[in-house]
Amino acid sequence: MKRERMRIISVGILNLALVLSSPSVLQTQHKPQNKVEKAAAPMKLKVGDAAPDFTLLAFDGKDLKKVSLRDYKGKKNVALAFFVFAFTGG
Amino acid sequence: MKALQQNLTALEGADTQVLGVSMDSPFSNFAFAQQNGISFPILGDWGGPVTSRYGLTQKLDIQGVPMETARRATFLIDKSGKIINEQVDDDALDPTKTVEVCERQKTKK
Repeated sequence: MKRERMRIISVGILNLALVLSSPSVLQTQHKPQNKVEKAAAPMKLKVGDAAPDFTLLAFDGKDLKKVSLRDYKGKKNVALAFFVFAFTGG
Repeated sequence: MKALQQNLTALEGADTQVLGVSMDSPFSNFAFAQQNGISFPILGDWGGPVTSRYGLTQKLDIQGVPMETARRATFLIDKSGKIINEQVDDDALDPTKTVEVCERQKTKK
């Protein structure tokens, strides 16, 4: 009787270990922490729209410089790359 | 940002200025650029007014702490100020498409 109970417990532990080590369980454990509330929302600005002008500051190590989208009008294309945060990879 | 840096020569060769934007201060963006060998300007959209104007503000919940940040996106804007390509979220990680459209734009003229 005692041996039987031991066997059931050890099989149970083995199953638990298998479930915990499977990649799908690990992924679902990590996902909710960085959850995006609105995934793949439609874009406000579309191809063909006029890009809204802006003026922002950039630091070049010495001075703060104003950079505006209109500075490049008629001169260059602009690849405007928004990213999540500095120091977060990508 | 690093992927854009790797394609900077191609983009500049196709008459394109690369500008990064994040909701950090211009100073942390400069430190980030230095640490990662990024030579194009990264603009500080502190508080996110421009991110919001471009419809990219997203609310994140990081370990139960709410944070507002920008959605990853690359807009390609032509010389007339019109958006001619946009890559959003994971698509914006790889600048290949942006480079392609720039080069096509160049051969058009």
